[in-house]
Amino acid sequence: MLRVEHIRKTYHLGRVKVPVLHGVDLTVHHKEWITILGASGSGKSTLMHIMGGLDRPDKHPESPASIVYGDRVITDLGAGGLNNYRSTEVGFVFQFYHLLPELDILQNICIGSMIRHGRFGYGSQRKGVESRAKELLDRFGLSDRMKHRPAELSGGERQRVAIARALINEPALLLADEPTGNLDLKTGESILDVLAELRQSSGLTMVMVTHDERIASRADRVIRLIDGRVVEQTGVGSV
Amino acid sequence: MPILAMLAVMLSVATILITWSVMGGFLKTLVNSGRSLIGDVTVSWPNVGFAHYDELIVMLEDDEMIDGATPIIETFGLIQLPDDRIELITIKGIDPVSYDRVTNYTDTIWWKPINEPTAKDRDGSDVRLDPQFTGAMAMFESNAVTLTRLNPDSGQTERAGVLGVEVTGLNIRTEDGIYDPRANGFRALPDGGIERVPGFMPAGGTVGLTVLSLDSTGKPVDPVTRTIPIANEFQSGIFEIDQSTIFVPLETMQEMLRLDEARKVELVENPFATEVDPVTGKRRPKMSEVVGIDPARVTTVLVRSADGTELNEVRDRVFEIYQEFEAKHQGGVPSSFSMENQIRTWEDLNATMINAVKKETGLVLFIFGIVSFTSVFLVLAIFWSMISEKTKDIGILRALGASTTGVAWLWIRYGTAIGLIGASLGTAAGYAVVININSIHDWLGRTFNLVIWDPRTYYFIEIPSEVEIDKAIIVFVVGVLTCVLGSLIPAFRSARMDPVKALRFE
Repeated sequence: MLRVEHIRKTYHLGRVKVPVLHGVDLTVHHKEWITILGASGSGKSTLMHIMGGLDRPDKHPESPASIVYGDRVITDLGAGGLNNYRSTEVGFVFQFYHLLPELDILQNICIGSMIRHGRFGYGSQRKGVESRAKELLDRFGLSDRMKHRPAELSGGERQRVAIARALINEPALLLADEPTGNLDLKTGESILDVLAELRQSSGLTMVMVTHDERIASRADRVIRLIDGRVVEQTGVGSV
Repeated sequence: MPILAMLAVMLSVATILITWSVMGGFLKTLVNSGRSLIGDVTVSWPNVGFAHYDELIVMLEDDEMIDGATPIIETFGLIQLPDDRIELITIKGIDPVSYDRVTNYTDTIWWKPINEPTAKDRDGSDVRLDPQFTGAMAMFESNAVTLTRLNPDSGQTERAGVLGVEVTGLNIRTEDGIYDPRANGFRALPDGGIERVPGFMPAGGTVGLTVLSLDSTGKPVDPVTRTIPIANEFQSGIFEIDQSTIFVPLETMQEMLRLDEARKVELVENPFATEVDPVTGKRRPKMSEVVGIDPARVTTVLVRSADGTELNEVRDRVFEIYQEFEAKHQGGVPSSFSMENQIRTWEDLNATMINAVKKETGLVLFIFGIVSFTSVFLVLAIFWSMISEKTKDIGILRALGASTTGVAWLWIRYGTAIGLIGASLGTAAGYAVVININSIHDWLGRTFNLVIWDPRTYYFIEIPSEVEIDKAIIVFVVGVLTCVLGSLIPAFRSARMDPVKALRFE
């Protein structure tokens, strides 16, 4: 489903070059749940951002980077193509939820669809989108919190809202960056249960980034990243 | 923060609208006042004047573009006031009946009975309202309309003049915007003493007028002085006019300046008769008289255009009529060629004053514009700060698939919305202030003893308070654009943000 080859990434801090990824190769299969495991600074979030089209890999003439999603070469896409990829194919879940504080829960979930369809396109689809948002909220036990602001919700509730937002456009790929990193153990477990249930029911492909071995163990496959290199792949379907 | 940006736009819009409306209203009122005594178009031949003006007036009044025309003589002279001060004065010889048809002469007459107090005269202290003086005021008004006054000693009606209300300096203007006629002047006596002189001129006051009479070539011949009884006083609304103008009957001025109708005498020797030379006592050929008529002249004809006519078209039409008039009196009146630049609209005549006020308005607007332009930077700073605060949200939107232009457009739309609301509120506030500016001013006066528009200083009793829709639209649009302009740079900054950095922003 997603093939990642020769991904390199270097950040520039002033004049200092900080290499983060050193030629990462990775394949994610359809409906697979993989976890990228690594310590802080290992490049796992950067890899996830590049896979999600939020960032671009470095250009390397000898071994050019490539990300192929289905039959589309993501690395060849322009800015517009990447925007479209992010809004239709990918759903992001972040450690700190990143909900928009001025919007209520329902609006926070629907905004992804608004961006995808544009202001006018959204107008014609609004009822259907809101209905799906309500379904998701119902599924995550938040139907009574629809008109609440993010600040009025607990961390676990906020993360469930963020997952609902990521799913509103029915993406095939969910990219989650430390989704339980800001939650207590019990709440974190409940979030992982939600994700597992989603994958089961919706056939979602999931890539999760974490530093927690215990969480990583729930995935189909674990990819260990150390200093920007894949050092180990374990689990079902590991290559 | 958006409320701050909105307030900035609102205040700048309101400030500019108020300034522009008040200054514009001031100019309009000033110009209309200036127009009130000069008609719409003037045909002028200074000093020597021109003859056959009655015929020109008939020709002008026959035209459908012209409502009326009147002859006047305008010259400068010296006026001796009741307290013996001698001042330079503009003297206008008028025919009051036709002058009133062309100008708003009777409206400018001050001492006349009135039914309602003027705008600022809340306690009704204006002597013109007093029923006790209604009869006297009616008489003064009638005197002004006919430019005459009854001489109580001789019982004869005499020609009289109407003075600008500020000429004597003896009419004390109160803060209510009215004149108190009970003031007195003082005349210095040679022995070092002073003598009290009455300040209210229509009740027996006289002035001395001195002009230089001119010969038929326009050269001064000798000074002519007359004592002119004062019938009334006028207020045009322009201080300069009211301080230095007197109206007298046209005939009086024609006589004083030798512009009246006269017998034309030419002396030639008669070879068939002799007479005794009174100087030498010897006989000489008799000098015979060839008698002709030198027609009366005026320096100016004022024209009032018909309603709905365009001023410059009327001026052109007046010139055409003058050309026909000249053709009838070839050599007897100034040529059309010379007259072309002497036929002018009231706007041409008042160009200096109008341009001065226009420039003043422009300058004030420019200064306020600069001040208001700072609101662009204020909006920019506020938006910059908002975007810094919302960096993470921008990253979220980008992560959800928003394009760079979409993010920029979001902020520009936000700026436009703030601009629209701010400018709407500013326009509404400015409008509310302008239409209530006199009430607000009165309230400030009552509450804080703060009088900005003092009728003793300014000539109009009330602050002009008219909002012109086109000005309001311009100010509104500029207000919105200010906000849009202020949001542009921050919007581009937001668009250029790296979404990954934005998401990591703390």
